[in-house]
Amino acid sequence: MEHKAIYKLCKGLGCCEACCLRYIGIKNPNAYENSINFVTKYNDENEPNSIEIKNNNESTTDNEKNTTMSSTKSETNKSNENNDNSIESTENVDETTIEVNNEVESNGRTSPPSKKRKVNICVSCLGVLQEDNWQEGFQMVKELLDKKGYECTTFACALSAPIATLLREKIITLNIVDEFPQYDAKVLTPLKEAWKWSFGVKLSAYINKTLDSGAVSPLLVTVNMDYTDDLQELEILKLVSPQLFEERRKQRRRFVTEFTRRSVEQALEKATLSSLKAAGAQLVAVRARGVCGYIKLSRNLPQSPWILDGKRVLPSSVQEIIFAPLAKCYKWEEADAERRLKLIAAGREDVDVRCLGDGRPFAVEITDPTRQLTDEELKEACKEISNSGQVIVKRIVPITREDLIQLKNGEETKSKTYEALCIKLSHSKYDTDHTSPVRVTPEDIDRINSYTNTDTDVRIAITQKTPIRVLHRRPLLTRNREILELTAELVPERPQLFVVRARTAAGTYVKEWVHGELRRSAPALRDVLAARADLLALDVAAVHLAWPPS
Amino acid sequence: MEYNILDSIDLNDSTIYKSFTDRYFSKRYILNIDGIKNNDIMLMFHSNRITLLCLAPSHFFFKRPDNYSLNFTVGEVDRLSNLVKGKGKKGGQMLTPKSVICKVQWSDGTSFNIPCCMKGTLIEINENLVKHPELLRQEPDSDGFIAIMLSSIAISEATKKELLNHEEYLKRVNSSL
Repeated sequence: MEHKAIYKLCKGLGCCEACCLRYIGIKNPNAYENSINFVTKYNDENEPNSIEIKNNNESTTDNEKNTTMSSTKSETNKSNENNDNSIESTENVDETTIEVNNEVESNGRTSPPSKKRKVNICVSCLGVLQEDNWQEGFQMVKELLDKKGYECTTFACALSAPIATLLREKIITLNIVDEFPQYDAKVLTPLKEAWKWSFGVKLSAYINKTLDSGAVSPLLVTVNMDYTDDLQELEILKLVSPQLFEERRKQRRRFVTEFTRRSVEQALEKATLSSLKAAGAQLVAVRARGVCGYIKLSRNLPQSPWILDGKRVLPSSVQEIIFAPLAKCYKWEEADAERRLKLIAAGREDVDVRCLGDGRPFAVEITDPTRQLTDEELKEACKEISNSGQVIVKRIVPITREDLIQLKNGEETKSKTYEALCIKLSHSKYDTDHTSPVRVTPEDIDRINSYTNTDTDVRIAITQKTPIRVLHRRPLLTRNREILELTAELVPERPQLFVVRARTAAGTYVKEWVHGELRRSAPALRDVLAARADLLALDVAAVHLAWPPS
Repeated sequence: MEYNILDSIDLNDSTIYKSFTDRYFSKRYILNIDGIKNNDIMLMFHSNRITLLCLAPSHFFFKRPDNYSLNFTVGEVDRLSNLVKGKGKKGGQMLTPKSVICKVQWSDGTSFNIPCCMKGTLIEINENLVKHPELLRQEPDSDGFIAIMLSSIAISEATKKELLNHEEYLKRVNSSL
């Protein structure tokens, strides 16, 4: 077997040095202690970094430049186990478990030059074997041991790795077999062994205890490495092995969780490269995300395709208009684009509401992109979107996973400014002349501009029952909401009309607040006016969320 | 302003001036309930099958100028204590077409019942009627609605089909004058 070729292939797929050694089948513990030096013999000549990337799985390092790699959270669980039955044992026999959380932030983006260079996270071990991620783990273990004061001079260590590493190992192994049919997948050195030989040995020096086997040492240190996308990534196995998970779902009482190491191993047993690919398996946690705000100019355009009983209600949607040029860049068919592109917006407006100003913050998640789109392509895409005449997107820039959290949080916290065209339908109780036609008076405008029912910065505190239009699918609740700012003005030559601008707290139903919805929202604008009033048109003038993040 | 809201709609299009209930609801009528002349009810169906219970404009109630009070306790059941929980509206009082939602008591001691005319679940009583019973007379087809009900798609579709629509109602009412 050609070790060099396997090394080259694994490296090209995005494996770290230690993982390359694992796939080659190296079982020599010393090799893992300093894998970076050990692998130099596999590198061609003197150019260790110029390896031509050979990649069957579409994702390339090219993508990693502007995309998020998942942050790896490591957790240390340490337990003191007194396994031996020696009579003189004075340690408590039961197990003590202490958990320490820390976040090891790892991302594969090119870092600003001022920062310490970060290595790309390995696509196979997800960083478990990469020395750069160890320091915090060492510290956590040491702190706990110091606190506990175990007098034992030896220790054993165990690893609980993300289950997704199993799936990833399978994909890489299948890739190697694809290239070298005679490759024996059984040579793979288990992750936990390689980890013991590398992390364990260094930890030993750090905590000044001798590393021993678990059968011998009474002190067991379990390090639990969490991967935030673990479960999400394993979802595809339900497509690969539907019966297995259907069975588990049915016997929910017996199988509390869907994905365990055992169930994942079972699901992967017969998996082939093509079945995994068909299910959308991707080796590298690469998701490109482009972002900006969309301006919606149409009152006949839903955010996502509106389909009722299999028939389209309206011909297009914001989503489709934004996706079209992106799909074109990747040469994706419509069905493909629908599967691989995802619109993530900070809320949505009703179909008949326009969204103006800087637009509604949104992001597009591109699953498994074949490459990074260039600035020119993104510019061109914006142009094409805006040419629709219904949606305008000014620019699209790459963002990170953390930014996305901000986008989704914003949905619950951001305030919005609305502009509403309103009509006064009856005389107000303040109107002195009830025989003349109904008209909005300067007094009406003053009344709106000065009305408040709170002692705080909030202009109007209101309560809203769940609107009837969504009552069939939401619980009946009375919610407290706030109108934060409110101004009104007359409309020239339209005596019955007036325009209000209102900044409202997240979750305020503005239409209902204007007309009062059969007095289910109160006090409504009509109550302030003391006359019947209704809404003719509504625009979102601004969504108050700093986006895209600078 | 770049995208003036006044230019965004056609102000001469009369449909934009429809009232809230006319915009979202379709009206259905049941006349002479229990053989009592002009004991007329109007049900307003939202496209999402939420239904409002109202008195029809032809109800004999509107002919009588006397004072009245509203009583939401029907037999053992207090309609005002109705509580629904969650998306599924669990725990709402079950209704059959004959179920009485409210009793109108005239100042002279006589009274009449308002039945709900549909099988379904009681979602909400118009609590504003408790403080402001005059709404029933002043705005019977909007703020003076009596209750919100919900039934299955099948039942609400069937009921809608079976009952008189607005045009049929006007014909019947005008011919009986």
